[in-house]
Amino acid sequence: MIRAVGLTKQYGQRTAVDGISFEVKPGLVTGFLGPNGAGKSTTMRLIAGLDRATAGTVTVNGKPYAQHHSPLREVGILLDAKAVHTGRSARNHLLALAATHGIGSGRVDEVIGMAGLDSVARKRVGAFSLGMGQRLGIAAALLGDPSTLILDEPVNGLDPEGVIWVRNLVRHLASQGRTVFLSSHLMSEMAQTADHIIVLGRGRIIADAPVSSILAQAKGSGTVRVRTPDSERLTALLGGEHVSRTGADPALLEISGITAAHVGELAARAGVILHELTPQASSLEDAYLELTQQDVEYRSSEGATA
Amino acid sequence: MSATTAGPATTTRNDGLSRLTFGGILRSEWIKLRSLRSTGWCYLITVVMTVGLALLVAALLPVADGGEAGDTGRSIAVSAATAGVRFGELVVAVLGALMITGEYGTGMIRSTFAAVPKRIPALVGKILVFGVVTFIVGLVSVAISFLLAVLLLGARNVHTDPGNIHVLLPLVGAAGYLALIGMMSLAIGAIIRNSAGGIAASLGTILVLPLIFTLLGSLTNQKWVLNIGQFLPSSAGTPLYTFVPAGPTPPLVQSGFIQLDALWGGLVLAAWVVVPFVLASVLVRNRDA
Repeated sequence: MIRAVGLTKQYGQRTAVDGISFEVKPGLVTGFLGPNGAGKSTTMRLIAGLDRATAGTVTVNGKPYAQHHSPLREVGILLDAKAVHTGRSARNHLLALAATHGIGSGRVDEVIGMAGLDSVARKRVGAFSLGMGQRLGIAAALLGDPSTLILDEPVNGLDPEGVIWVRNLVRHLASQGRTVFLSSHLMSEMAQTADHIIVLGRGRIIADAPVSSILAQAKGSGTVRVRTPDSERLTALLGGEHVSRTGADPALLEISGITAAHVGELAARAGVILHELTPQASSLEDAYLELTQQDVEYRSSEGATA
Repeated sequence: MSATTAGPATTTRNDGLSRLTFGGILRSEWIKLRSLRSTGWCYLITVVMTVGLALLVAALLPVADGGEAGDTGRSIAVSAATAGVRFGELVVAVLGALMITGEYGTGMIRSTFAAVPKRIPALVGKILVFGVVTFIVGLVSVAISFLLAVLLLGARNVHTDPGNIHVLLPLVGAAGYLALIGMMSLAIGAIIRNSAGGIAASLGTILVLPLIFTLLGSLTNQKWVLNIGQFLPSSAGTPLYTFVPAGPTPPLVQSGFIQLDALWGGLVLAAWVVVPFVLASVLVRNRDA
């Protein structure tokens, strides 16, 4: 359980985190979303006591992080993959961290195995790719078998296999009753991982709700994608105002205001062949863009979102 | 765990088996120290230079035709064995600064402070482990240097009594001097946080400040300028590894000039460790990592 109350951090004149209050509950994966520069990393550093809050408090399991007798057993932290001396081997890095808490080398080798680092554990970290560094950071976070995990952009730089590994790992950890708090600027990643989402924009909380309710609130939900060799007839059947062409492919239609079931029934009755009929849940991505539109600190000049 | 930390029902946690302790921090810092190549290289260079210079001095120092014995023999043996200290201190100073600035430069410091969030114990552990290891390396180098120097000098008819306390103390003092210089440099590094800056500030304190005071002293011909120079780390530390014959000790102040002895010199040098370290602790505690 993480609880922040009126948490504020100023760097000189710039307010990175602006009086935010939130709770991160055990047993759930809580996603922490926001555009670059929204204050996600700062908030996480404040939780871990690495940065000093200008105002407000944040506690983990009822106490400030630094007050715990065995911090690594309370909280596992991945703040950035580069929090490692490049001249040291991965295993020695983990051994040094483990030694502070009297955690044995058996546990070190265990987390090395969990993170899939066996083959490179004795290599110097300076030679690691971003993905391997990320795995080492996650291994370090798991060392103390902590009840709370704070992972800042854990999938950054990971290959697809690594992304799936992280996704399954955090789901598994949450299912054991642990508190999992992970940040990302990718909504699509969160949609597949998180139960609950806190959206941050310019240092303020814009949304703090279950994934399902964020989805429900999003506008423009419920379009249906249809692929048919007989698009002319189907368009006529549905009444033109519901239909739009989405791309160069004339067989592909985007239909709004009518459910997929209804489209299917109409087509079947008229004998129109359908190759594809897909209800398009309004993506979390759309919901997120809508939420953060006003709060993006670095926006490309054309307003495009790639 | 106390009732106030009633966290979630977590699985497989062996509370009490492992917790943050100062002993654990010392072990951690020892692992960190020995798992970097730069440490090994710096210490190896220290040993090689100390022994090499001792051999050079023992072989080439001009001695009287009839040979030497007594206090002169002892003095020659001690100065040969400690001839490398002036160079070893530079290596140790660089290493001391790197011990902490390397962590800031690579970001390792965030891992360190995440594991030891109160921070000061980590800093204390680091400086203690580094001080002890440097002392041992210094002692080994000086001991090898002394044994070889005694053998070489003996062949040149210069004799000393290796068991004499007045001979042994400056040898131990040389190791202590190296350790304290390294610790001072580590504390300065913790204040500055940047490798180049930390090394420059440490070497400046050891090498450049004495030159400035000597220069000013000779230009102005003022005793107090030269006297302040006596309190700089390299000057204050010199009596630690200098042979002093048995007998009445000379006064600390002679005709207006201050000349520290080993005890006072050692205390002044210790202050050069403690003062920057306290300043570093206050800064480390309050700064963002």
